[in-house]
Amino acid sequence: MAVSWLSRLAARARVPVFPALGMHGDTILHRLALTPGIELVDSPRHASILLVAGGVPPDLHEALRRLHDQLPAPFATLWYRSAPLSELAGDLRVDDPEALPEALKRLHRELMSGRRDSSPRLLPDEPPNPWEGLGDDGHGGEGMMGGVPYGRPMAMNMHDDIRDGLTLDSLTVTLGPFLPVLPPGLGAKVTLQGDLVQSWVTQLAPYPIALENVFHEALQRPVPIAELELARARHHLQRLAFSLRLSGLEHLALVALRLSRGLNVESRVGRLHRWLTRCGFFRLTAAGRGRLEAGQARRVGGIAARAAGLEEDLRSRDAAYRRLGFTPIVQRGGDTNARWRQTLAEIDHSLQLACRAEQEDLYSEMTEAVETPRGPWDDYRPEDASDILEDLLPGLEWDEALTTIASLDLAGVSEWPLEPLSETSLKDDEERQA
Amino acid sequence: MELLTLLIVLLVALGAGLGVQWLAMCHQTMPTYPQRAPFLGGGLPETHAWNRYHVRYYPMTLLLIAFEMEMMFMYPWAVVYVEQGMKAVMEMGMFLAILSVGIVYGWREGVFKWQ
Repeated sequence: MAVSWLSRLAARARVPVFPALGMHGDTILHRLALTPGIELVDSPRHASILLVAGGVPPDLHEALRRLHDQLPAPFATLWYRSAPLSELAGDLRVDDPEALPEALKRLHRELMSGRRDSSPRLLPDEPPNPWEGLGDDGHGGEGMMGGVPYGRPMAMNMHDDIRDGLTLDSLTVTLGPFLPVLPPGLGAKVTLQGDLVQSWVTQLAPYPIALENVFHEALQRPVPIAELELARARHHLQRLAFSLRLSGLEHLALVALRLSRGLNVESRVGRLHRWLTRCGFFRLTAAGRGRLEAGQARRVGGIAARAAGLEEDLRSRDAAYRRLGFTPIVQRGGDTNARWRQTLAEIDHSLQLACRAEQEDLYSEMTEAVETPRGPWDDYRPEDASDILEDLLPGLEWDEALTTIASLDLAGVSEWPLEPLSETSLKDDEERQA
Repeated sequence: MELLTLLIVLLVALGAGLGVQWLAMCHQTMPTYPQRAPFLGGGLPETHAWNRYHVRYYPMTLLLIAFEMEMMFMYPWAVVYVEQGMKAVMEMGMFLAILSVGIVYGWREGVFKWQ
């Protein structure tokens, strides 16, 4: 009686979803974050549904199996625009973004009311590293360091501490590719001494990001500048929302996402900027940390380059932009803080340009190259630059390292444009939200 | 009689508490090994979790204990001081000298530096 009452109550709660992102899966995430009744959680331990959004490359299937088995029973897996793993071939797959929220809610209801069985475990229930130590109490018994209990060596101090000389055991872990605090697809081998990043080796590059179709079209024919600039502002607002969520400012992340969703030439970010200043976001993004050298900044390009003082922006070569009086905004710092100030300034600038361009009905005139939100796209698309993290992150504390990664747009640009979400569904969601 | 009632209440409460836990344990099986592994976004830990790491707030704790202990004993000492006089001052001086070693150590570690 009590259990069935609890199940009914659980079925009515918000659906805790853990997203495992595949290629281009983050688009639907921005939408789900604003859908009432869906809660995106940061750990599989808090989730009832594993949402695999976007195609997962075959070399990441093993990591996906490990992640799948970390959800507590009862749980279910839903595949959005992604082929289920061979063992889970009968799982629910949804390709329509409009049907996804309802499918998630229905799945959760069925799961909680017992009408659907929990997803099967994929990995054998065995210790990942079986007991290999000697002796009764697990110390291994051989030599000073005591063997390898549970098949893994004991953490040992293999490196000198690079902060204050207090050398302690360093812990090496492989993070990603489904860690929500990192860009989707990014995997790295990290050695930590306490909270200090001792070394960072990027093992898996983040998935290429899909830009809105207007940037691809701009390389074929003149496109309305207003459209181009709104798409740019949207991209940056979504990046900002990711960083705000990472900083624990969930509410402001939703504000940024809502703004990006309803963005038009009349939108302004002044109020968001004031809120960010008041809640201490710029102080959180540790000033002086994650500073890029000129060479690194040029390699990353885009906002990171301009935040480091490089006046590199392809828009200044376009005659239509020059008519609008465009001059690139630059900062001097080159650090995490400067990059976010630059992002906010560029969003504001883009919105102003969009407003003026719409009044004058201006079209871009340069078709051999385009300045994307990720950087200049001329003969080559902006490429992945995640290997700069190996030089940038050692010596930073873990929180500083994460804010630095979030402030950098490092993934390469995909050759495929983003699929637009239909306007009607956006309006529907807005109405439900209201 | 009151003690017996209290004992019965305690036993009933304990029994109920253990019963609730036992019921839950009956229904729940131990999570599988892969579920119990630390969540690293699909990655794996390379070393054993038994490692020594620096508790960075340790100097702050040391400082808190140094001042806390000082205050904790100084209130009763103030009462005793009235009766004992100079002897109490000497004893307190020795106690404070020992504690101040901790404070001096904390100072050397930079605990008074605002970061």
